[in-house]
Amino acid sequence: MHRKKWLQSSLAAVMATTLLLAGCSNGNAGEGSSKSGGSEVSTEPVTYSYFGFGNNRDVMASDTTIGKILQEQTGVDWKMEFVVGDASTKSGVMIAGGDYPDVISPVGELAKFLDAGALIPLNDLIEEYGPNIKRVYGDYMNKITHEDGNIYILPYTANVNGYLSPPDPTSTFWMQRRVLKEFGYPEVKTLDQYFDLIEQYQAKYPTVDGKDTIGFVTFAGTAGEFFTITNQPMHLAGYPNEGAVMVDMETHEAKLYQGTEDEKRWLAKLNEMNSKGLVDPETFTANKDQYLAKLTSGRVLGFVNYSWQINDATTNLRTAGDDDLRYVALPIVYDESITDAYVDPPSFVNNRGLGISVSAKDPARIIKYWDNLLTDENQKLVQWGEEGVTYSVNEEGRMVMSEEQLTNRNDNDFKRKYGFAYFDYEWPRYGDNSVYDDGNAHVPFNQPEVAAINYTEGDKALLDAYKLKTFGDFYAEPVERPWYPAWSIEREPGSPEQLFSQRAGDLQQKYYSRLVLSSPAEFENVWNEYLAEYNKLDAADFEEFMTNKIKNRIDGKW
Amino acid sequence: MPQSNTGDSRVKVFFKELSKQKMLMLMSLPFLLWVIIFKYLPLWGWTIAFQKFKPARDFLDQTWVGLDNFKFLFQEPQFYRVLRNTLVMSSINLVLGFVTAIVLALLLNELRKVFFKRTVQTISYLPYFISWVVAANIVQTALAPEGIVNVLLLRLNLIDQPVLWLGVGEYFWGILGVTEVWKNVGWNTIIYLAAITTIDPSQYEAAEIDGASRLQRMWYITLPGMKPVIVLILIMNLGHILESGFEAQYLLGNGMNIDYSENLDIFVLKYGMQMNNFGLATAAGMFKTVVSFIFLITANNLAKRMGESRLY
Repeated sequence: MHRKKWLQSSLAAVMATTLLLAGCSNGNAGEGSSKSGGSEVSTEPVTYSYFGFGNNRDVMASDTTIGKILQEQTGVDWKMEFVVGDASTKSGVMIAGGDYPDVISPVGELAKFLDAGALIPLNDLIEEYGPNIKRVYGDYMNKITHEDGNIYILPYTANVNGYLSPPDPTSTFWMQRRVLKEFGYPEVKTLDQYFDLIEQYQAKYPTVDGKDTIGFVTFAGTAGEFFTITNQPMHLAGYPNEGAVMVDMETHEAKLYQGTEDEKRWLAKLNEMNSKGLVDPETFTANKDQYLAKLTSGRVLGFVNYSWQINDATTNLRTAGDDDLRYVALPIVYDESITDAYVDPPSFVNNRGLGISVSAKDPARIIKYWDNLLTDENQKLVQWGEEGVTYSVNEEGRMVMSEEQLTNRNDNDFKRKYGFAYFDYEWPRYGDNSVYDDGNAHVPFNQPEVAAINYTEGDKALLDAYKLKTFGDFYAEPVERPWYPAWSIEREPGSPEQLFSQRAGDLQQKYYSRLVLSSPAEFENVWNEYLAEYNKLDAADFEEFMTNKIKNRIDGKW
Repeated sequence: MPQSNTGDSRVKVFFKELSKQKMLMLMSLPFLLWVIIFKYLPLWGWTIAFQKFKPARDFLDQTWVGLDNFKFLFQEPQFYRVLRNTLVMSSINLVLGFVTAIVLALLLNELRKVFFKRTVQTISYLPYFISWVVAANIVQTALAPEGIVNVLLLRLNLIDQPVLWLGVGEYFWGILGVTEVWKNVGWNTIIYLAAITTIDPSQYEAAEIDGASRLQRMWYITLPGMKPVIVLILIMNLGHILESGFEAQYLLGNGMNIDYSENLDIFVLKYGMQMNNFGLATAAGMFKTVVSFIFLITANNLAKRMGESRLY
């Protein structure tokens, strides 16, 4: 395998040299020289490096179908690497060494890279080489421009041609479908109803295949994903994911929910469920592999997670084919009177994007690659693939998929092999809610025709039982929040706000497990202890900082 | 060679010796350079501890903050907890690592069947070669409520409920100690086995003729024979008293045992590296170095006084 690759690349190198020599010997009358100015895209083969702080497996872009096609168009290949282990350590090492890959998708590490001056301003490059970039990001210019007037990254959420709400959004509360089936698909809206159902089912079926059923589990064993358990009070109180705060719709005040009744209520409920033996004790100790293995085992009745944290598990369960063992996300809130807000309102996340580092040898070439990536055709390529292969177009000009094509689009291995897994997200792109000029949805699963075929028999039965057309019908319509999402407000490294977040997070990590696992009689004591510790921190300043930033955003200052 | 006390001739002798050992000097030069470049030049980086350091900026563009980073460190209530954890865990590692490695070396040395000896040795040092990530995964799996440890204890009726080993803070130090021993004992043994081979076999023969039992031979010949190496390694390890390791604690630690698992290195990672506060990280590093330095010098001087082998 390795040998072959080596052979391929050396052959490619030989070819390239021959071509180059041939080009030279023909004299320089032709255009295809290496320094092609203007909008001329050079196709001279070259490999750049890409580093992503998201999760993925390392790959050469040209080893994927999409990457290969893009390489044929531009001559550019990418050595794509992704972080292993702790992201902040990796970014620290990169910055300390000053040795950067050509392009970086810094995700949560953006502030650090900016602070270190690791990314180059893109303004002039876009002006000169980026007609498509201007088309896509034109409406968002004030949001992608940094305080110093420069553009450093191209974010992933710029919607083109309006807003198409996704047909199948998810919440964070998941329930195994056989539980709902067992009780005749009842309405589940409140936290109490949710846990009631789990309790009843567990009492009826204490074991599956000789192993104990697990009532409820969440993923709080890893420091980096502890937000899974701490974010819930916000959702239960009817707010979308803003991070550590809830923003009042009228006054636009940002209030932390840590140390409030909302948080207490969530933990008290978990504590009560734990005393009944329904919370998996490994909630706070399992690592991610162990956790995902649990979810795919079919023993878990309910769990809490954002869908993007558990993609691999849900896709595997789907591929396994037993719909009863799959999960459905429900819009759970505290009380009947609360309107859920799980569906993201139209939003723009401006601190997640791809940037060019100061080490990049030929930024112009990279910008041209991105510009080429942002044509309608190539955006279709990275989301839909090739016509006739991974999708088809029917007589009405609608893009559709056959069942086999859909199975592939849902399959993790195929997605990696074809390149969807690498090119459909962490690159300059149309936002998920975009629509093409011809009316087709940018994201296949937002296309109603595809969403409909995508449903399995079990999906259909479930939706029929609730008399709904799509899973989106479970949820309330999103409400416009012009500042959304507050979590993307950058806190400067080493600032008091960041120090507060770290300390508050440390406290949560230390006390949540105790609050959940202590005996109900002790709960009040532990809570008071936690509150006393928390009150020593400077929450007021943090709230003021967030409120100001949110008001700025409403005034158009991002 | 008769030596005069005048400085002049001393210099002469020095240069004479120098030219005699020209080759030796030339050979050691690259290593001297290596030490200077990689061990002494980086000390310049300690200036970061007194700055509000911004990476990728010129030295002259940095803001100086005096002792602020140290103040933050010593005023942080968490600092004393992580310092305690660091000291306890590294002491446990030191003592356990020492005792087990020496005992294993002694026992292996007594084995007469070479094949069996080799097998034991190979098995015991294999874990050393797997990365901590894998090792931690193995430990986590074994200690899970349905893992092998709980199953075994339940079968033996030693417990009647699965124990959440990694969820009880008080167990963490023990688990860590056992894990470290499991992972490193074979490797640590190698140096003692090497030390044992230098012991003159005729001493054993003589002892045997005099009627010494196996235990007596171990006690009176093997152990004293290993003593110089033992003392030397002890001194070197004392220099690392504030290094209790990082990966094991980082990978096995979680919210439930954080009070016992978080050590100085993790604290520095969280409040220094992750928050881009390199000044604090450097200050903590300096603190560690100074403490290590004191320990090392003290241990070495003690060894010197007691007439034992020593580092310098």
